[in-house]
Amino acid sequence: MRKQLSSQFSIIRRDKWLLSSLTWLPIALAVMIWAIFSQGIARDLPIGVVNFTPGKLSQQLVRYYDATSTMKVHQQYSSVAQAKDALVSGDIYAYAIIPTQFDTDIYKKLAPQVSVYYNSQMILVGKLLSSAFTQAQGTFNAQLSTISNMAKGDATLLSAMGQAVPVRTQITPLFNKNSNYAQFLVSAIIPALWQIVVVVSTILILAANHRDKGLQPWLSTSPITSVVRTLLPYTLVFALQGFAFLVWFYLGFEWPMNGSFEVILLAQWVTLIACMIMGSLFFFLTLDPARAMSFAGAFTAPSFAFMGITFPVTDMNSLAQWWRDLLPASHYIEVQVSQVSYGHAWYESLRHLTPMLGYALPLLLCIALIHKHLKATQQTALKESA
Amino acid sequence: MNLFTLIKAELKALLSNPVVVLTVFGGVVFYSFLYPLPYSNQTPREQHISVVNLDMSQTSFKLERMVDATPQVKVVRRDHTLEQARDAFMKGDVSGILVIPEHFYKDILLGKSPTLAYAGDASYFLVYGTIVEGLAKAGGTLAAQTKVTKLLLDGQPLSLAADQYAATQLNLKPTFNPRMGYVDYVVPAVFVLILQQTMAMAAGLMVGTQKLGKGYWRKVHPARLLVVRFTLLTVIYYLLSMYYFGASFSLQGVSQLAHASQLLTLLLPFLIASCAIGIWLGSITPRRELVTLVVLVSSMPLVFSAGFIWPVEAIPSPIVWLSQLFPSTPAIQSFLALNQMGAEWSQIRVEYSQLWLQAIVWCLVGYFAYKKSVNLDFRAVRY
Repeated sequence: MRKQLSSQFSIIRRDKWLLSSLTWLPIALAVMIWAIFSQGIARDLPIGVVNFTPGKLSQQLVRYYDATSTMKVHQQYSSVAQAKDALVSGDIYAYAIIPTQFDTDIYKKLAPQVSVYYNSQMILVGKLLSSAFTQAQGTFNAQLSTISNMAKGDATLLSAMGQAVPVRTQITPLFNKNSNYAQFLVSAIIPALWQIVVVVSTILILAANHRDKGLQPWLSTSPITSVVRTLLPYTLVFALQGFAFLVWFYLGFEWPMNGSFEVILLAQWVTLIACMIMGSLFFFLTLDPARAMSFAGAFTAPSFAFMGITFPVTDMNSLAQWWRDLLPASHYIEVQVSQVSYGHAWYESLRHLTPMLGYALPLLLCIALIHKHLKATQQTALKESA
Repeated sequence: MNLFTLIKAELKALLSNPVVVLTVFGGVVFYSFLYPLPYSNQTPREQHISVVNLDMSQTSFKLERMVDATPQVKVVRRDHTLEQARDAFMKGDVSGILVIPEHFYKDILLGKSPTLAYAGDASYFLVYGTIVEGLAKAGGTLAAQTKVTKLLLDGQPLSLAADQYAATQLNLKPTFNPRMGYVDYVVPAVFVLILQQTMAMAAGLMVGTQKLGKGYWRKVHPARLLVVRFTLLTVIYYLLSMYYFGASFSLQGVSQLAHASQLLTLLLPFLIASCAIGIWLGSITPRRELVTLVVLVSSMPLVFSAGFIWPVEAIPSPIVWLSQLFPSTPAIQSFLALNQMGAEWSQIRVEYSQLWLQAIVWCLVGYFAYKKSVNLDFRAVRY
């Protein structure tokens, strides 16, 4: 074992790229992803207003828009065409058109209509804006009707408010109280990245050993044990990476954590072994690291989309679900969510890992491929000597 | 070596290189089906919720039916206590809960504005958003009906009451992606990134493959070779881009508002810059698989900083500056503007100039790196 370790150390020392992809590269990527979403909540998104009634009430409505945390009135436009141009060129994400005679219509109780055009090409921004507009308008309406109810003189403030807002609502986002996007996205993107790092590093490790030692000396005596021995020290590195991001999220950022670390760590071990099996399979398919890397890319690159965090699994079609089942990270994320959010019992969480027994198949395939390659090199060696 | 034989040799090197062929043709076609796959249902619908009705009045049953009638949510169970609903939620039978409080109907009539409580699973924002949207819609309709009824009781005619239940009306129009579909949101942007990444890989893998060997590439001037290689790859990628922006978009039903000539014009600097990045990567990495590695791990930061998932205003400026160095960022923004939002050419002029600037700078960087690597290689060890 010690010999094995020292030989791996010397390989890493010479292969700076492998060293990077095991150490600073994943850290740099994770920090960068976190930095992108670090603001957590989209605030002060620029919007425009086309105000055809520069009156007291319309100004008040504009101030209500500006007062929401999501939106900021970036500019007032004098024509709809200007606002539309600004929307298309991305200066603003939405614009509201306040019609002519807005104030008079309100006094006359003609219920003037404010039209809001929001950029729904960016769904996330679109949804935030649409609820912010609804909220601002709701508050504005409630205030107006409360005042008009009060003006009749036969109501107390409370009953006037009750008449203005017959039903109130209380909305609770469970498990993510602030609707924090950093917590929502980063806690899923990082595991997806981790999966990429594990698969890719496994290929680099095998390629480095292959290049350094040659297939025959490396694997000819008891091939399976040799591969396992080669990869064994690195499992600790990957496990450490996994442990590090958990500590970072739930102890560093103090994102809510309702389950146990042990269960998630166990799931991480299973996941990293599955990832390493897939990495080995890609490498031993051709023994060509470049081709293996292409396969790894095709396999892991879209895994975040399939995880079912942004788009629910239940709304994916069966083909998408099948591909999703092939990816180790999508099983892992189930365990992570079930522990972190729901705080399920360990046996319920780990049930999500049972499909991972299926990685025995690529493992067998991998073993068969190693034997095939060994035989092939033996034959060419024999031919050359003959 | 004359130009014709050089082109023939380059083409042969490209097409006989299995990794390049796998990446360029296999990758591009494979991704064109794989990326839209999870989103083929466009929007989540009929999310399962549980209703805890503590009121049991006619109004609250009406609300239950109204909730069930929205496309966003489906009432799959009724619970008598919040604890039961919570257990069902934890088991994953439902992802949202609606609680109708006790005396709901009485409180409405008394004008005490009772509070409806919604809760949704915010571990999945889209699920949560859908549930809240559906519940808010039903709740809002009920509130409006209540107000109209009251106005009628006060003696207002129905036609007036129906208009006057709110002081102002809000007409919210989703623009550019009217069906609010996920495919329309992800595909047009991600496809641009796929084109950049696979092209960079292809160019880099070619450089990487030829690095250790001897062949025609050592006999021609690097500039001449690169001009031929750029031209060939750009032509191939023009064809692949046409497949993406044409057939594939049509198949997915993604809107194609831009004129083909505009897309083709915009593609030129984008493809040149992507190719140059590949040449540069191929030249500075010691082994060709590392090109794929770098491209692969850069994809996620590039896609999330491009500004279509998370607003640019909310991304820290150093990351925005960094992302502006790569063609995918201005390209995604301008392709979306042209093709999805129907922008005029004048509105993307800044991005277009930026792409040309990138193309020039990346070409220079790629050229010098390549020249250096060609001169170095014979002496280089295998690492």
